[in-house]
Amino acid sequence: MSFWIIVGVLAAIAVWLIAIYNGLVAARNQGQTAWSQIDVQLKRRHDLIPNLVQVVKDAMGYEQETLTKVVQARNAAAAATGPAQSGPAEAALSAATRGLFALVENYPQLKANDNIKQLQEELTTTENKIAFARQFYNDSVNAYNTRIQSFPAVVAAASLGFHPMELFNMPEAEREVPKVALR
Amino acid sequence: MSATATTDFVAAQKANRRNTMLLLAALTGIAAFTGYLVGWALEGELTDSVPLWSRAGLAIAAVLAVVSVVWSLISLVIGDRLVLGMASAKPISKEDAPQLYNVVEEISIAAGQPMPRVMVLETDALNAFATGSQVGNGTIAVTRGLLDTLTRDELQGVVAHEMAHLANLDTRYMVVVGVTVGLIALVCDVLLRTTAWGSSGRSSGSGKKGSGGGLLIIVLIVVAIVAPLAAKAVQMAVSRQREYLADATSVQFTRNPNGLISALGKLADKAAPFPGVSRATQHLFIVNPVQTFTSKTPALLATHPAVEDRIARLRNLGG
Repeated sequence: MSFWIIVGVLAAIAVWLIAIYNGLVAARNQGQTAWSQIDVQLKRRHDLIPNLVQVVKDAMGYEQETLTKVVQARNAAAAATGPAQSGPAEAALSAATRGLFALVENYPQLKANDNIKQLQEELTTTENKIAFARQFYNDSVNAYNTRIQSFPAVVAAASLGFHPMELFNMPEAEREVPKVALR
Repeated sequence: MSATATTDFVAAQKANRRNTMLLLAALTGIAAFTGYLVGWALEGELTDSVPLWSRAGLAIAAVLAVVSVVWSLISLVIGDRLVLGMASAKPISKEDAPQLYNVVEEISIAAGQPMPRVMVLETDALNAFATGSQVGNGTIAVTRGLLDTLTRDELQGVVAHEMAHLANLDTRYMVVVGVTVGLIALVCDVLLRTTAWGSSGRSSGSGKKGSGGGLLIIVLIVVAIVAPLAAKAVQMAVSRQREYLADATSVQFTRNPNGLISALGKLADKAAPFPGVSRATQHLFIVNPVQTFTSKTPALLATHPAVEDRIARLRNLGG
């Protein structure tokens, strides 16, 4: 009788441990999937920027400096890998493109251009997608990190290969409002 | 700052889910109770006794459970077609309305949900709805008037509200609640007929029953009349809770209550009238397409909370 009780208790513990392990795997996978979603959107943005520069280049003769800044920020962002590097680079790129669109406001013929409108919509949606994917990624990573740092997972998480994941931050300081010349 | 905002919508969602569970429990209770009463009344009529613990009552309650599951499944299949069958709803691709399509894509990323179908309703009324009985099979539809009137941020708030209905599976949930309420109405109808038959049979018959039977009949009739109304009121309360929950979840997705607040302000004035909408689908829309509710109208049978109340709650989330 007591033998079967012990077997039952051990079986229950085994089921419990399997459930914890599978939960950790699922949480880690969700984080990784969320990161690949961010990656897709970042690439899309890097592809859109050269088109934008191409369209505005001729009209904005005097604003070469802004354009160069955008291109440099874009190349730096495209070269960055992983959340820690990409975060600040992407924040700088956001600031640079925002500065460019603020300048477009000064050129009525550019503002009315359908290509520009379309590019602006595409860049806006891509930025939103990056922001939302980041939000989803960070929520997933927070949940996963909390799990592996809490009892009971904390006992064995590191030895089973569950390491904390990095948050993807785009520093606020670099998202400054672009200066717009007042008429 | 964002940390406190986060706990705010988590708390709002928790409270809403708890209220909804309570309401659903009340609804199930009403259904089981009326089912039991029918069996009890029948058993009383047939065996000429008034049992305290009725086997027929339990049997009918069990049958009701099976019927409600089957009925729910059928409604889930037909419900989508009912609303999407509206003549003016047509699916669009990205080229037809790039901004709308983009906004839906954004919000599906924010929600971590698969991309739903996107539809436009060719009407000037300002409204939007979501439908879909399971994850991955959703549809979000907005009216042409809405597309032409709202700014990008406002559109995003509205789409996020609809995505919240899909993410919370409200569409499925409301179908199930609707079926339960329909079932209660049906059972009470049967109950009324049974007691009418029973009492007419008695008046012309043997007259063996005591006066206690007459009192019980009156109680049964009162229950049969009140229960469907109570169930309807509960259904509408659930519907209003889901609207509040969808508003809170919308802000969780967009992190921008102002878009939805200003969209609701615009929708409040111009939602009705909306030709071709049946009452069966009115709870699916972001604001009621058949009638408007203000804080002053009696709220008991309203599908949606008053827009002023929704805006007030959204402002609390932001603050």
